[in-house]
Amino acid sequence: MTERVDGPAPGAASGGLVLGIDTGGTYTDGVLLDYGARTVLATHKSLTTKRDFSLGIEAVIEGIAIPDAAAVKMVSISTTLATNAIAEGKGKRVALLLVGYDPDLIKTFKMGRRFATPHYFYFAGGHDLYGREKEPLDLAAVLAKVNELKNQVDAIAISAYFSPLNPEHENRLFEAVSRVCDLPIVLGHQLSTKLGSVERATTAALNASLLAVLQDFVVAVRRAMERRQIDAPLMVVRGDGTLMSDDFAARTPVETIHSGPAASAIGGRFLSGLDDALVIDIGGTTTDIALVQDGQVAVSEEGARVGDYKTAVRAANLLSIALGGDSHLHLDRQREVRVGPERVVPLAYLAQQYPQVRERLFTLSRRTWTQSAPDWLEYWFLLRQVPADSATARALSVSERALLNVLAEGPLPLPEIREQLGLMYTAQLGAEELLRQELIGKAGLTPTDLLHVEGRHTLWDAEAAGLALEILGRFLFREPEEIRDHVWAEMTRAIVRATVIFLSGKKLADSELDMGYWFFDNSLTQAHPHLETQFHLRCPIIGIGAPAAVFLPAVAEALHTELILPPHHQVANAVGAIAGSVMVADEILIYPRLTQEGLEVLGYYVQSSNARHEYEELDDALAHARALSQERALGAAVRAGADNPEVIVEESSDGLDTYRVRARALGSPRLAH
Amino acid sequence: MELVRVDTQRAYQQIRQQIIELTLPPGAPIDEQALAAELDLGPTPVREALRLLAHDELVTVTPHHGLYVSTVGPDELAQFSELRLTLEGLAARLAAQRATADDLAVLDALCQALPQIPAEESDRLLEVDGRFHQAIAQAAHNRYLARTLNHYLGQSQRLWHLAQPQLSFLPAAVEEHLALTVAISAGEAERAERLMRAHVQEFYDRVHHILNHAA
Repeated sequence: MTERVDGPAPGAASGGLVLGIDTGGTYTDGVLLDYGARTVLATHKSLTTKRDFSLGIEAVIEGIAIPDAAAVKMVSISTTLATNAIAEGKGKRVALLLVGYDPDLIKTFKMGRRFATPHYFYFAGGHDLYGREKEPLDLAAVLAKVNELKNQVDAIAISAYFSPLNPEHENRLFEAVSRVCDLPIVLGHQLSTKLGSVERATTAALNASLLAVLQDFVVAVRRAMERRQIDAPLMVVRGDGTLMSDDFAARTPVETIHSGPAASAIGGRFLSGLDDALVIDIGGTTTDIALVQDGQVAVSEEGARVGDYKTAVRAANLLSIALGGDSHLHLDRQREVRVGPERVVPLAYLAQQYPQVRERLFTLSRRTWTQSAPDWLEYWFLLRQVPADSATARALSVSERALLNVLAEGPLPLPEIREQLGLMYTAQLGAEELLRQELIGKAGLTPTDLLHVEGRHTLWDAEAAGLALEILGRFLFREPEEIRDHVWAEMTRAIVRATVIFLSGKKLADSELDMGYWFFDNSLTQAHPHLETQFHLRCPIIGIGAPAAVFLPAVAEALHTELILPPHHQVANAVGAIAGSVMVADEILIYPRLTQEGLEVLGYYVQSSNARHEYEELDDALAHARALSQERALGAAVRAGADNPEVIVEESSDGLDTYRVRARALGSPRLAH
Repeated sequence: MELVRVDTQRAYQQIRQQIIELTLPPGAPIDEQALAAELDLGPTPVREALRLLAHDELVTVTPHHGLYVSTVGPDELAQFSELRLTLEGLAARLAAQRATADDLAVLDALCQALPQIPAEESDRLLEVDGRFHQAIAQAAHNRYLARTLNHYLGQSQRLWHLAQPQLSFLPAAVEEHLALTVAISAGEAERAERLMRAHVQEFYDRVHHILNHAA
């Protein structure tokens, strides 16, 4: 990497306000920033609404204090929408047309399941390693298949073999297929110039399945902006922390994969001014770790993974673990207290909303040992009412209705719900769908509750949290302080472990006989009488998120480095949504034109995403590619809303006399006038 | 993505559909505010959409009486059929001379799709028929011609709906499409033009007949 992502140029549009929004697993954060002065003017948090992210974002846009809507010059969003839609299978139905792929090969290596859609079909066609037509395209077969499918899918993805070297078949298919149906069509070569054919097909299929999802989202955000009379460009954060226009995002939703953690890292860098640091973002649901190097978010060269899918999308290299302030503290089979992975609403919060919860906990704390089983600390409650004649209400099953009725009076502990419904096991409640639709929620003891007990957090009902901890202590025959210390140690261990795995790229065996494990364990406990082991992190840690101040000092200590908590680190993710640069990359491939027998080089092709030129000499071809990619990236960046973008051109060799010229145009976002 | 653009696009498509399917019949006055409320869109996108539809000649603007859905009388019908006969005939002729293998594959696919659609699903038949005519215009490789024909597509689809209760999609039309495709594939320009003219003429004769009887 040679380029730097700089913050706004000094004096640029001073007084211009920008609004950054980040949708996390638990909270949607908003921050209003004076772009020129780099000062945070207002912040706002609202709960993330997973069933429809735009609701939480609208709440932020409507809730944040904006002195003068006309002064807002840009709005930028990082969103986990795409990542979540993929994980939950909420994308649209896609037909994936594979041209020139070898069905036997895909079958033998069981790669079919990696395509992110069950509807994939093989057709003759495709090119070879030198961009030569491998086989004529069987257009008639494709069109017959499209006719058969067009009413059963919502979008079409097309990936042809070696299409980055020669997109001719994909382009021809686009022309022809768009004449027989109106479905949106995604072409593999427009999303990735990497040659990996399976990843490109997966990326195209995922992109197609997310088109409508992201477009609806962008429109919803635009509407919310309009209601507050904000007339400004809307940007979306990419998975590598750079920005793209909403228009571009609606066409390439896959690029938003990992945009949340990338925004955290950018925000941490922006607020701290550090160019090299490990950024750890502790949220309510997850802890995300990313690295900032030379002022940039370190990017994974392999392509982003999401769920079970491996894509060809450039995104931040990051590690995410299911551990946060609202992780559920529960007992495992050995009656050891575990943190997460499930996320619940803290009891202190629930008791604040429903005072009867505290009374129930008080009564419980006076009961005998057997009745203080930890199940009694898990509460279920209604998150919202279902309107009687809505489609949601009609879709409810008998058992779902019964559960909603039981909870109508207020939150109840799990054993009481089971008793009222006459059920033995929690699994019999059949509540998955109700939980997924956010009709009911779960509450329980969390690290956030322990912070209330310690007096480090004071927002909600500390007494209720104290009672719950006391009950758990009595059940385990342990002092509350002992449990607290255990939980803190567990969290430190989990974060240090994730950091070491993330940075080393190695696995950590869970066996006490393993030297790696022993080294790691001993570095935290220093239990060995003679050998001391320690990890020493060479860069500081930037802590992001509300719980960072509490949990990260121990982590920094265990890694023998400094912890930096920049001002406003609680909302650094939202700051990161606006601190990134607008970036557009353009890649051109140069490869030899061979004689039919492949023995002689006749010249060189320069292949951009939409045109091919031919040169006799490699030097001329490369020079042309450099000029062309620079021009294309620059033009696209200006169109995407970059102000005076700077272009960096890099060259690399793919081997086999094939070269890649990549131009990246980066610039601060151009604010509205 | 400009919100206005997205909403204008939505408004345009929905209002166009209403005009073509005669939910908004020819000559009906257009109440912008009522339309905006009905479509749940802002007044600006609806106004923009109506302007686009006026350009398509599906909506007429008068200085004193506001907006109404363009009327279709015998005169308009006659003039319109003259234009389409000539242009569609030209498109078929050029297509026979210039169609690529890919163009022919598209025509073939659309031809094969037609007989698979049950006769009662007239909307789907109309859709594929429209695509067939557009595909021939594309195969002519004259972008001005294609654009002009595309511009009047809405108008012909509205005529089809006007006549539709009496005008079922005839099996003969499927045959005609097939014959046209064969002529274009074979590069028989004269024949393709003649077939297309006959195909269009027949449509207008029928519409004319039905409209006259209705009046």
